[in-house]
Amino acid sequence: MDSQSYLPVPPGVGMEENFLSLDDILLSHERLPSRTECLFPRLGFLEKSTDSQDIQEGTKMELPLWLAKGLYERKRRVVSIELPKVYREGWRTVFNADPTVVDLHKMGPYYYGLGSQMLHFDSPENPEIAQALLQTFIGRFRRTMDSSQNVYNEDTSALVDRLDCLERVLFKMGQRGLNSFQGWEKGRASHLTASTLVLNYRKRKMTDLQA
Amino acid sequence: MDPSEVEFLAEKEIVKIIPNFSLDKIYLIGGDLGPFNPGLPVQVPVWLALNLKQRQKCRILPPPWMDVDKLEEVREMERKEDSFTPPPSPYYMELTKLLLNHASDNIPKADEIRTLVKDIWDTRIAKLRLSADSFISQQEAHAKLDNLTLMEINTTRSFLLDSLNCMFKLRSNMQPGTSAGKALDY
Repeated sequence: MDSQSYLPVPPGVGMEENFLSLDDILLSHERLPSRTECLFPRLGFLEKSTDSQDIQEGTKMELPLWLAKGLYERKRRVVSIELPKVYREGWRTVFNADPTVVDLHKMGPYYYGLGSQMLHFDSPENPEIAQALLQTFIGRFRRTMDSSQNVYNEDTSALVDRLDCLERVLFKMGQRGLNSFQGWEKGRASHLTASTLVLNYRKRKMTDLQA
Repeated sequence: MDPSEVEFLAEKEIVKIIPNFSLDKIYLIGGDLGPFNPGLPVQVPVWLALNLKQRQKCRILPPPWMDVDKLEEVREMERKEDSFTPPPSPYYMELTKLLLNHASDNIPKADEIRTLVKDIWDTRIAKLRLSADSFISQQEAHAKLDNLTLMEINTTRSFLLDSLNCMFKLRSNMQPGTSAGKALDY
């Protein structure tokens, strides 16, 4: 049986994040260019470029997503977030033209995740961003499906390089289905193999305990 | 679902054997299995046929669809049509593997049959992928496919469901609706 011994919490796709998901935690480390709208007294040590004691109004800083989401308020008194380059007009037309040639891993490994989180920040371009995300996903789906279902027992790093994290998960699922089918066809399904949990947990030898 | 589970379900199919022993009718929970007389064909489920064959107590007769000409016809029809043609048997892939592995001496032209079945399988899987792709690219709400066997469905199930989930969630981005700072706590 290929069911896992423990199931990690999956990332929340879309505008919600799962609190316990490791992928979402890593995603929220992405930095966003932003501008402070009010004074942050005595926090000058966070801003390395100026030497003042506080962060002045109107400073441009890079804030991680978790901080930006927490500080953002509808009345926009605290910070205002700019869209990263990848979600702006220029790149959106590139994605519209041909989504399959873009190296999504380079554009930030969490392209879809971060894009969905950006929709929290009430930018006037929100509908276009959401549409662009969807269309990019649909455009690249064919490539992901074909490559995941046809590569067996070869080095997949060249294919997986250009995929973003969401697509990598899908790729792995496709590979798993393919591998289990091929394994069954070869008759390897009836071989007993050690569970991965046992393999990873190596018993300490008596000599190590006594040392 | 595992391919082994699908194979287990396939073993319920009926196949004809010629036993070389004799036994009275046996009454099992699933049904009765007729009296066994040496030299007379009798219909049994595949799991029993394989077991008897491994103990060298019977000879398995190939099912009617497992014939080179018939499979060639099926293959040609499959290649011509765009939609799925009815398969030779709802478990053709599993039965081919089981019977050809254990009883290839009872089945004429075993290698050719294996190649033909593989061709049919490849064509059908390619059609399945094409249909999944058009399903996603046109963002349909539901699709209907006839004449698919369980094994084919099983190979694409996890991938297709996950991608449809992702697509659904990306689509729900477009209608912000009630999602003002909702966070799921586990």
